[in-house]
Amino acid sequence: MTGSRNRRFGTALVGLLVGFGLSPTAAEATSTTPGARALVPGVKVEVAPAPGSGPAATPNALDDSALRYYARIGDVERMEAEIARLRALDPGWEPPKDLFTPQAAGPGVDETPFWSLVSAGKFPEARAAIAEQRRQTPSWQPSAKLLQELDVAEGANRLRGASDTKRWQDVIDAAAAQPEAVACNRLDNAWRLAEAYAELKQLDRAFDRYKTIVSQCPKAKERRDTIFKASRYLSPEQVRELTTIGATANPVAGEDYTAVRTVEGELETGRLLEKLGNPKAGPLSTADLARAEQIIRDKQDADGAIALGWYFQRQKKHADAQRWFADANGWTPSDKAAEGLILALAALGKKAEAREAGAPWQGKSNRVDQALKSVTNPPRGSGSGGRGASGGGAPGQSELSAALARDDFAGCLAAIQRMLTHSRPTAALMQQRGWCLMELKRPTEAEAAFAEAQALAAREPAKANTPGKSSSQRSLSDRPLDTPASPAQENAYGQAVARLATGDVAGLARDLPRTNMTPTQKAEIRASLLATEAGRAMDDKRYGDVLRLLDARKELTPEPRNLSLLRGWALYNMRRLDEARALFKAIDDRLSTEESREAVSVTSMATYRY
Amino acid sequence: MTPTRRDLLIGGAAGLLATAAAGLPLAAKPFDAAAWREYADRFLRPEGRIVDTGNNGVSHSEGQGYGLLLAVAAGDRGAFDRMWGWTQRNLMIREDGLTAWRWQPEGGVSDRNNASDGDILIAWALLRAADQWKADAYRTAAVALLKALATAVLVEHAGMTVLLPGRDGFRKGDTLILNPSYWVFPALRAFAALPTSLLPNPERWRKLAESGLVLLAKGRFGTHQLPPDWLALDANGGVAVADGFRKQYGYDAVRVPLYLAMDGHRDPYYFRPFAMLATQSGGGPIPATVSLPGGTTTQVAASVGMMAVYRLACTLAASGTTVTVPPLGANEDYYSTTLAHLSALAAQTLGIAP
Repeated sequence: MTGSRNRRFGTALVGLLVGFGLSPTAAEATSTTPGARALVPGVKVEVAPAPGSGPAATPNALDDSALRYYARIGDVERMEAEIARLRALDPGWEPPKDLFTPQAAGPGVDETPFWSLVSAGKFPEARAAIAEQRRQTPSWQPSAKLLQELDVAEGANRLRGASDTKRWQDVIDAAAAQPEAVACNRLDNAWRLAEAYAELKQLDRAFDRYKTIVSQCPKAKERRDTIFKASRYLSPEQVRELTTIGATANPVAGEDYTAVRTVEGELETGRLLEKLGNPKAGPLSTADLARAEQIIRDKQDADGAIALGWYFQRQKKHADAQRWFADANGWTPSDKAAEGLILALAALGKKAEAREAGAPWQGKSNRVDQALKSVTNPPRGSGSGGRGASGGGAPGQSELSAALARDDFAGCLAAIQRMLTHSRPTAALMQQRGWCLMELKRPTEAEAAFAEAQALAAREPAKANTPGKSSSQRSLSDRPLDTPASPAQENAYGQAVARLATGDVAGLARDLPRTNMTPTQKAEIRASLLATEAGRAMDDKRYGDVLRLLDARKELTPEPRNLSLLRGWALYNMRRLDEARALFKAIDDRLSTEESREAVSVTSMATYRY
Repeated sequence: MTPTRRDLLIGGAAGLLATAAAGLPLAAKPFDAAAWREYADRFLRPEGRIVDTGNNGVSHSEGQGYGLLLAVAAGDRGAFDRMWGWTQRNLMIREDGLTAWRWQPEGGVSDRNNASDGDILIAWALLRAADQWKADAYRTAAVALLKALATAVLVEHAGMTVLLPGRDGFRKGDTLILNPSYWVFPALRAFAALPTSLLPNPERWRKLAESGLVLLAKGRFGTHQLPPDWLALDANGGVAVADGFRKQYGYDAVRVPLYLAMDGHRDPYYFRPFAMLATQSGGGPIPATVSLPGGTTTQVAASVGMMAVYRLACTLAASGTTVTVPPLGANEDYYSTTLAHLSALAAQTLGIAP
């Protein structure tokens, strides 16, 4: 409910709480070699620009040693007072021109403090410290290397800032002003530049940029990632051309470019798995399906196997579905896999096995509890793979069951509507309506439906609506948590889910303790609340809170992929780059999508200090 | 409430286009006693108030501060005392010791909020007067004003010590609205140099100067990477061109390179944006404002005083561009004339031709 978050979380350095970092030592390091002090208006001291020229002979007899002392320690006020005093003694006297010139060939300015700031990414602070040093020591020039480093880093920041805020022309301008900022060692910026052209629909230029990268940047991994990036914007023909170039152009010794060649195949796989998971995409060709099965089996990819399971379930190939759900559950046990397995077994008429499959999760996962109803509620259309409570054997029930089996939630609403023309609404039917509305992302109506169900349940005889009192179920429910939800609790749960979807987080959190729900249901709602709060914390850049909230949620229930990605971006923004990268890598290894690839590559870039 | 003071100037400087195009000679004159007399004749009323001729003859704390500074530089204690007296009587009417920023001939103070740069300029002028004329009373007054400023407008935000432009109205949630041109760098340095026996915690003023340089490195926008007149600083230290004000570089921010130069700064990095803007104008009129980050310029040209600032910036940025500053016109307004004189003073201080 809370969220697949498709947008990228701040990849720039913005989230850093940068403490003000001009170290006192930087400012004081040269106190033995003070430079020119600009005087305030009206005090006319000429500054000798020549460095190291040594003390000039004083042309008059006044003792200026105190003045020189004040100048050396940088006490401007006393120095001015001393100048005034000497002037009073001799109106024709002028302060010496070399007052601020280093009096001895002192040590050169140590650049270490500036480099420390630069390497900490504190570029504005480095600029400030350098300017202050130059003010104090006009004869000093920062090294060309230091300035170059800053220019490029600032150019790169400017480009990133423009890219983050989608000011594409500014991205292009920033790159033009500082071409070094998009060199191979700043690959992320090179990508952003290509992306800017693509977003401005200058696809030829975008292609040129990608081509430059895959032909000039030596690392196979980088070429490969570039082609993944480019695939978002370019035609398959152009991607093929990039692949050929990337696999052959300017090879360097020790790099293996075979991984570049396989990119096209992997892109195809990604598209295939996406299609597999999308109910609207229709059936896959036999060859595609075989390939998808092969890949998922090779990688023992549980998420992929669950997607395959639902694919077959939708096709009413329940035996295939069962096999894939079972594989998924075998590779990585989860309530999602169990849910699928229960429904597939139920559709095959293997009710006992279905109940067995659900046993480890019963009372712990609402998903599984819902699925188990299909094997415990006596009046059910046979062969239904649908989820949720049924409305009993009223006319239209089979239509409803069929719709649910197809994940056709609009059909569910239509079937219920038709059933209501024949018979009076029941609590169970209203509850089912609520769930279908939720699936259709109409939470406000869903909340109303659950409320109506609640009201109906209060008027209905308790016995008729108490689910799951069969002996078989009771034998499975020997743990204290495994209390099946009453219809009232089910409705309260539905309302809570609907309120979550409408964004009423505060209200829900407030009411939760007083709400009549099973401990399982409460835990699940609480987990969803925490996930929502984590998302909000992310939006507010409270990255520490994101981790705290996700940790609390993890206590209640395993962390799904989207929240793991969220966790990774929080770590990234806290500059805990190693942890972020390891997490993204683990996610990407399990199932590589554009989202996870991007996360890995952005984090890797940052780790190498781009 | 919020002092956006240059608004009325737009249009007033239009006539300068012709002056600049006529190719009249050359560098601005140095600031000397004659220049001060002329300035006082034009802008200083006998009772001691500096008149902003570009803004319907109002007076303000900034004008008093500039007038006081120029009087010290010219050694005119009589004028100084008249201005200081008028300032105390008419603007220092707040309980907290700060200066009300705007005064109108009809009705007097028309906005009691302070403008922090006005207070800073006045305090700095007082300190300079105390040194120049050996008069402790000025220093005592300066220190009182500095204490009031430290309490009311110096704030710690995002790890920096920053300056609120006025006591009221510049906080939006956890974002502050700042004005980079209110960092009068040479004044801040003078405050930081005060002994702790006079001013508790002078260190805060040094930190303020440091944060100013950091903000000027962060707050660069558009093609020329110019600072905005008004800058938003969020709780994480992120900066943006402030909402709710004209999103531009213009009449306020043009003082940024001036104050840096007056403070002895020479790092080309800090002068390059202004030099770039001047260079891009290719010897023609320099636009008075540039929208940020878009870069749209107005038809209105920079005034003579602003040109003098650009000349200074180009020299310090070593940009190779020479800006020709026309002489001050007979009707040159208060702001332009002030900038011209301060630029001359800064150049003199740095030992470069004005």
